[in-house]
Amino acid sequence: MPVGVMMKISGSMLLIAGTSGYGFWKAGCYKSRIRLLEQLRQMVFLLKGQVLYANATLEEAFAAVGGRTEGTLARLFLYVAEEIGKQQGEAFFTIWKEAVEEILADSELKEEDRRQLAAMGEHLGFLDRDMQERNLLLYLEQLDVSINELRAHRQERCRLYTSLGVMAGMFLTILLC
Amino acid sequence: MGCGKEILQIFSKNIRLILGQVSVDFGQVQEIRLRVQAPLLMICGNQEYYITSQGGLSTQDRDAYRVTARELKETLEYMGRYSLYAFEDEMRQGFLTIPGGHRIGLAGKVVCDGGGIRTMKYISSVNVRLAHQVRGCGDPVLPWLYDQGRFCHTLILSPPRCGKTTLLRDLVRQISDGSRDRPGMTVGVVDERSEIAACYQGIPQNDLGIRTDVLDCCPKAQGIWMLIRTMSPQVIAADEIGSREEMEALEYVMNCGCRIMVTIHGTSVEDVRRKPVLARLVSQQWFERYVVLGPAGRAGRRIAVYDGREAKLYETGGG
Repeated sequence: MPVGVMMKISGSMLLIAGTSGYGFWKAGCYKSRIRLLEQLRQMVFLLKGQVLYANATLEEAFAAVGGRTEGTLARLFLYVAEEIGKQQGEAFFTIWKEAVEEILADSELKEEDRRQLAAMGEHLGFLDRDMQERNLLLYLEQLDVSINELRAHRQERCRLYTSLGVMAGMFLTILLC
Repeated sequence: MGCGKEILQIFSKNIRLILGQVSVDFGQVQEIRLRVQAPLLMICGNQEYYITSQGGLSTQDRDAYRVTARELKETLEYMGRYSLYAFEDEMRQGFLTIPGGHRIGLAGKVVCDGGGIRTMKYISSVNVRLAHQVRGCGDPVLPWLYDQGRFCHTLILSPPRCGKTTLLRDLVRQISDGSRDRPGMTVGVVDERSEIAACYQGIPQNDLGIRTDVLDCCPKAQGIWMLIRTMSPQVIAADEIGSREEMEALEYVMNCGCRIMVTIHGTSVEDVRRKPVLARLVSQQWFERYVVLGPAGRAGRRIAVYDGREAKLYETGGG
């Protein structure tokens, strides 16, 4: 077989493998986003327990919940607890918002998820325990809506990403050949 | 206990900056007072000073830095570590205690719910009372609190800001550790306001001795019962007793062979006798020792020790 044809076949294979890989990666990201949101829901539940039943301060509550879990979200919680402890004279919302933007920037969470999570910190620590409960419950409701929506479309979206990846590779191959 | 400039972290940024420039030994500072639209004040060595915007101490009102409502609000947030909801019960009583055992007194608009106080809002005055552990301040008193090697039921009384809690803390430490002449005793401390032990996450920040068990943030009456049932203390210590439930718990303790050491506001034993719930305990001579503290005079702080019949055993200072 001529070298030129060999090159074309190898190039096409690589192209299809690359676009398919991208498709699989996107599907993986979608699943990871659901997993992260589910973990976040569990952590917010624990946070609610710390605030309402252990009467913990935000610093103690974030440290306790962060210490019980692993991954990016645990890092976020532990970082916030540490920043509160430093008492540098920043408002809590500033600390929280900056931490969410900085630590979760490279995570699978979308801009919309991060915005909702940052908004949760706006009223945290404000007024009494009832207010904390309502604030956390409101965020948990938002999380439930997001998770349910993502779960409902999981199969079709994952299939779409993977097949689009393969098809895009094949389409480009045909186009280039 | 840390009582240096780290206490400044609880103030808003601007006040922190001003207080950071004040050249005083923070170990001597007793109080820092903030009131909205009023001068920033510091009480140091029983003397009140106005603090200027450059961090100087002045005796002239016109030089004083005036605290704004926003600064007071920020200060409250930092004091409560952005979690004032966690201090609801304390705020209902008009104070909160921060790490280090420093007590923050609050005044503002009280929100009532039925007959009781629900919370406090529009806080306009904050009084930061710095706690100091003074090791050895109980030395002159301690020998008088024993009778033939047995620790006596003791009531410490003084007006506010005369060092009751500081004395109680040092006595607890010394009784617990013991010495060559006195064996150490197991002491149970009910620290309702976290002022004696200054617990942070349950761990005492003040040295209360090696045989001391602390019930932090626990109501005194319940705490006394709990200690008796679970920790078998030889001495029970508590600060600022006064309610009927607390008296009942103390009476029970006295009948169990356990010794007590408690404090109360007052200027003399006569004062205590006039308090409705304590009068009976005093007239029946339940207390075997009274330690009366007075304000500092030329010859130092007045300290007097009386026995159960109110006969003076020891006196120093005053004048």
